[in-house]
Amino acid sequence: MSAVETLPAPSRERYQALLGEAAQIRGISLWKDAWRRLKKNWAAMGSLWFLCALGLLAFFTPLLPLQSPQHQISDAEHKYQPPSSEAVTLEYDDRERRRLEQGIELDKQELRRVEKEIGELHRRLDRLPPKPEGTKTAAKKKPATVETAAEKERGAIEKEKAAKEKEKEALKGQLEGKWLAHPLNRLWNNPGPLTWQLLKARIAVFGKWSVPSLCGRDELGRDVLARIFWGARVSIIVGLVATLVSLAIGVSYGAVSGYLGGIVDTVMMRIVDILYSIPFIFIVIFLITILSEDSIKARLARWGIDQIVIFYFVIGAIYWLTMARVVRGQIISLKHEQFVDAARTIGAGTPRIVFRHLIPNVLGIVIVYLTLTIPSVMLFEAFLSFLGLGVQPPDVSWGLLMSEGLKVITPLEIHWWLVVFPGVALALTLFALNFLGDGLRDALDPRMKNR
Amino acid sequence: MNPLVETLLVVGKRLGWMLLTLWVVYTFSFFLMRAVPGGPFASDKKVPPAIQRQLEARYHMDEPLPMQYVRHLTNAAVFFDFGPSMRMEDYTVNEVIAQGFPVSATLGIIALVLALLFGMTAGVISAVRRNTIFDFGFMLLATVGIAVPNFVLASLSIILIVFWLQLVPAAGWGSIQQALLPALCVAAPYAAYIARLTRAGMLEVLNLDYIRTAYAKGLAPRTVIVKHALRGAILPVVSYIGPATAGILTGSLVLERIFNVPGMGSFFIDAAMQRDYTLALGMVVVYTALLLVMNTLVDLSYAIIDPRVKME
Amino acid sequence: MSHPVRKAFPWLAIALGLAALTWALAFERLPTADFTYDNGNEIQTADPAKATGQPEHRVLNALFEGLLRSMPPERWQDKFAPGENVPMTPEPAMAERYEVSPDGLTYTFHLRKDAQWSNGESVMAEDFAWSWRRTLHPETAGKYAYQLYYLKGGEEYNTAHVDVGTEVEVELPTRRDPLQPFPRGTLLLGKVEEIRKGAKPTVPADASDEQKERIEAKWKDQWVYFVRLASIRRSGWDRARHRFRKGDLMAVSKDPEQSQFIYAGGTLRALHILPDFESTVGVKAESTQKLVVTLKAPTPFFNELVAFYPYFPVNRRCVEDHGSPNWTKPENMVCNGPFTMEFRRIRDRIRFVKNPLYWDAYNVRLETVDALVVRSETTTLNMFLDDQIDWGTQIPVSMLPTIKKRLGTQFKTAPELTVYFYRINTTRPGLDNPLVRRALNLAIDKKNICDVVTQAGDMPATAVVPPGLPGYTSATGSEFNPEAARKLLEEAGYPGGQGLPEVEIMYNDLDIHKTIAERVQQLWRENLGIKTRLRGIEWNSYLSAQDKLDYSVCRAGWVGDYPDPNTFLDMWTSTSGQNQTGWKSKPFDQLIAEAGREDDPQKRLQMLHDAEQILLDESPILPIYWRVSKNLVKPHVQGWFLNAQDTHPLNLIWIDKHVRDAAGVRR
Repeated sequence: MSAVETLPAPSRERYQALLGEAAQIRGISLWKDAWRRLKKNWAAMGSLWFLCALGLLAFFTPLLPLQSPQHQISDAEHKYQPPSSEAVTLEYDDRERRRLEQGIELDKQELRRVEKEIGELHRRLDRLPPKPEGTKTAAKKKPATVETAAEKERGAIEKEKAAKEKEKEALKGQLEGKWLAHPLNRLWNNPGPLTWQLLKARIAVFGKWSVPSLCGRDELGRDVLARIFWGARVSIIVGLVATLVSLAIGVSYGAVSGYLGGIVDTVMMRIVDILYSIPFIFIVIFLITILSEDSIKARLARWGIDQIVIFYFVIGAIYWLTMARVVRGQIISLKHEQFVDAARTIGAGTPRIVFRHLIPNVLGIVIVYLTLTIPSVMLFEAFLSFLGLGVQPPDVSWGLLMSEGLKVITPLEIHWWLVVFPGVALALTLFALNFLGDGLRDALDPRMKNR
Repeated sequence: MNPLVETLLVVGKRLGWMLLTLWVVYTFSFFLMRAVPGGPFASDKKVPPAIQRQLEARYHMDEPLPMQYVRHLTNAAVFFDFGPSMRMEDYTVNEVIAQGFPVSATLGIIALVLALLFGMTAGVISAVRRNTIFDFGFMLLATVGIAVPNFVLASLSIILIVFWLQLVPAAGWGSIQQALLPALCVAAPYAAYIARLTRAGMLEVLNLDYIRTAYAKGLAPRTVIVKHALRGAILPVVSYIGPATAGILTGSLVLERIFNVPGMGSFFIDAAMQRDYTLALGMVVVYTALLLVMNTLVDLSYAIIDPRVKME
Repeated sequence: MSHPVRKAFPWLAIALGLAALTWALAFERLPTADFTYDNGNEIQTADPAKATGQPEHRVLNALFEGLLRSMPPERWQDKFAPGENVPMTPEPAMAERYEVSPDGLTYTFHLRKDAQWSNGESVMAEDFAWSWRRTLHPETAGKYAYQLYYLKGGEEYNTAHVDVGTEVEVELPTRRDPLQPFPRGTLLLGKVEEIRKGAKPTVPADASDEQKERIEAKWKDQWVYFVRLASIRRSGWDRARHRFRKGDLMAVSKDPEQSQFIYAGGTLRALHILPDFESTVGVKAESTQKLVVTLKAPTPFFNELVAFYPYFPVNRRCVEDHGSPNWTKPENMVCNGPFTMEFRRIRDRIRFVKNPLYWDAYNVRLETVDALVVRSETTTLNMFLDDQIDWGTQIPVSMLPTIKKRLGTQFKTAPELTVYFYRINTTRPGLDNPLVRRALNLAIDKKNICDVVTQAGDMPATAVVPPGLPGYTSATGSEFNPEAARKLLEEAGYPGGQGLPEVEIMYNDLDIHKTIAERVQQLWRENLGIKTRLRGIEWNSYLSAQDKLDYSVCRAGWVGDYPDPNTFLDMWTSTSGQNQTGWKSKPFDQLIAEAGREDDPQKRLQMLHDAEQILLDESPILPIYWRVSKNLVKPHVQGWFLNAQDTHPLNLIWIDKHVRDAAGVRR
């Protein structure tokens, strides 16, 4: 006792130094450490780069010298045309202006010409005076008994004004028509402002030149390569967002349920069972019905909610169920491990134990499951599109491309390019996801720490 | 307490929960179905309104919805009678299920056995021989199995196995040869899934102390893997095959179509699409019951396989 | 869990798995049939009174036979080239001969003496009268009951339309089985002297049509009818104590408890109050062999109708003994057609065997036939190529050029009575203008769609009624003409498509519909500058949206019910349930109504022609193409011929075994 007393009481500074040291040790966080280990894994890193490249390519697809994904060349020659390296130019159909049997080539000059026409219309429209305030009331003619000169003059002005108004309306109409007929609107479906600029840049850089139909053409003579790229934009976003939604819900739900156990677990799992068994198909049809009501459509548009957003949540909400069950199973077998007891003895709360200690330990399985979910989500998207939720033609996705495979594989003839190329794209993505998943699993494994 | 009484209590509690779940699912589905547009008598040649009313009267659909609900629920719960099918008018829902289920179950069992056999073998080998050509090869196959949709796989295998090799008939139901190809196609994604899960599970377990101890004791590698490691690694597989079995047993829509198998898979979606209310409800109940039983079995096997888990 | 359980568990699981596998691998072998064909989707029912649809049609034609049957001419093989449609005409079948009265209203059928049911009983005139009565009975709820509305009083009986002075049959709730309308309970026959309806219930202003109908139907059930009793037909199991006397005045109601009136004598509860079938409906069995049928109006195609399955007879005893739907089970069913049903497996197959008691059994050459349920076109093709089926009825359209090239004459195609068209919702702004609709029509390159998308040799539709109907020339429509289309659009006030609200094409998601819609989308954009959206939805939502006019343009198809232009035209009258476009035209309605009453066939066809012209000028629908039938038939199948109805009687088909063996068909 006395020996202890003789020791000088540790100073405040000493405590702080100790604390600081501890903080430094913890400084190599789980994530940093994982990243360090992931970098060493060449397969995972290669996959990561591949996926990044894929994401970039998908994002910048409008910039690539591809053909139009929706332009149909409907004749026997182009229908199901096998892959070819024949040079192709970007053309669009406009029968109003077309004299020859071919379409109109879309290059820098053509685009400039169209823009010029539109600009001209805009200028003419701007030159017209803005709509006068009082026109409407003035237009109401009083029953004039005696027409004075002033009134006559006013009448002439009124007439002129009305003529100007009419001209303006006509100009506006023409302008609208020009926009509708704009080649960028004809060859691509509803390009957003960013896509629009990218497409213009593409024409400025590559002109009418486009990559030949290296992956062949489909039933309506559309270029499969372009469709794969444009489809990637939809599918990647669908796959990622929907999977992340399912991940977030599934893991937390499963972990909490498994850790808490008892009546909470029972109730939570019964809810999962119920959701599992309710035929989602009715839910989907029900949602579509509600969403296609005009009033609801307008309200959602005001909130900026697109049909596709709902679509993500529908998929996410369907796929989190299995995730929750798998995670729960893992947690149950882990929760009696020593490290959990240890965490509990030093006073860690339930959320901390679940999210800091247990979940990192089940990440291995979760990531495997995740890499398995993404492709099924992409294919499921095709089925939902069939029910009316999801993308509609002329937009395209990988799921839709794959499902076309069903009708082009027959013993008589296989239009293999319609299955193989989208399939390869999907499989490569998946492969990369798998390797990355494997790498992540190893990197995040707490037991691998400092090894 | 007497262990027998305890077990009975657990089982009773489980059963109660199952019935409750079933009831909730039933009720929810019943009203959801009616909220969806369209009806069982719709067709592209529109039925005259007078005949439409007669048809509704035949299936008591002219009554208020709550009354229909009570009537159908009573019949279903008390007499296990789901009523006549509205689209297959010559059959009752019970007859439809009684004919379809054995077919789907047959296909499902063969597929499940194949999936477990291939999946677990591939998974164990890849885990044990990690980062070798085996590992890479199996995982490649597994990825292909998952990435290639089963209808593409089915179409390709028909061309290869039916028309080139001329081993089995193209479609139909009635012999082992006819069951083989659809079973393989059903099994493929599940086998791939199981392979990946087994591999992941094995890798976790192989690093644990008790395996190192087992090796240190000088046990043969095969004994260690089969007796010790596999037992620990099988848990994620078990929790996966619960719902998977329910899914496999109730069949697959696309494959049943391609191979012309008269199973239940097509009933589920078709009944929903055709608004065959009674058949769809029957299918929902069967599917839910199957799923609940499977999940219970999974929980039970958990408790048996893993000493750390207690049955609650 | 105790240790032994844990230890035994893996073995237990394996044993269980093995047991299950053994059970699964046990299959029962089925002998192959003489002839196997793909019958399309699972049939809804094998009851002729309730069935509709192509697959049902094929099955019912094998099992039952009407008074007449559609047959090709004698020695058609010599008269028609293989690629030509063979005309089918109604020929004597259950009836040996028939006479038509000069006014075209009365048909007298004389049944053949050797006509038998498959249980050995003979088919009698009474069987037809009873079967038609069953088909028309409201409780049977046959979707095709309206096919019997041509009979005098048929519609009134089916819709229970009773007025003061109508002879009625009142069925009392004394059935043997309350759920089975046949056998019926005690019938009271008499004349209605008065109907007390009571106050009409107020319908909420915002009620939907359906709700209104429901309220009305409920109110009608509460009406009280005063019937002067003429006769009583007591059922054998009626133990009620009612004592009726002829000449009594009785008050009856379907829902006396809810009725607004109470009578001292009591209001009897009735299950049905229908017009008396025997005295009001134009069917009478004058003797066992003589059936007299009276029609509402002269119907030149009535002989075709009589050969159509809603007019097929069923065996009364069989139906009454087993009840519906149990009588359709193979072990119970009694039929009178060339085949009987040996067994039926859901979504697998129906096995037919030859009916030795069929009157023309001598000419039926197939012993067993399998009608397979096939739900995918690709599967049909696979099974056909694998020699598992001899006749395929569904063909993958995208493969047609290859099929034609590789299978040659095994692929059979010929014009049929079907039109594929787009409905336009004429209540939508923009689309309410006939000029716009005509512009849309002219801007569709139908020939291109037929050549590139459908590829089977379908004909670009310039009019609504398909060609090939004897005596009828379709109204003149217009060919693809983008310039004219643009002009029309400008005339309508939408030059270059500007200002026209966005158009949306709705279709049910099937490959072919999607591809055609994509094509039309592009054509309208190219030729008219119109922006079009597509909406593919599943079948039932599609039907419901179509019915509620919740679309702007939607795809549709119509298969003619009988070979007469009327079936393609009378659906566009303002009151028709099939209209579904919101289009109403008085002159059109009038022409159709007048044509229905016209005796002179020449004049009648001219009226229909004029009506079609109105339809084309107003363009509430855009006809796209006239479909051709598509079949795959093995070379060893004989007696199979093309026709406009795409019906192929199984009793004419036979197998040339030499050809089959020479081709090395594996079976």
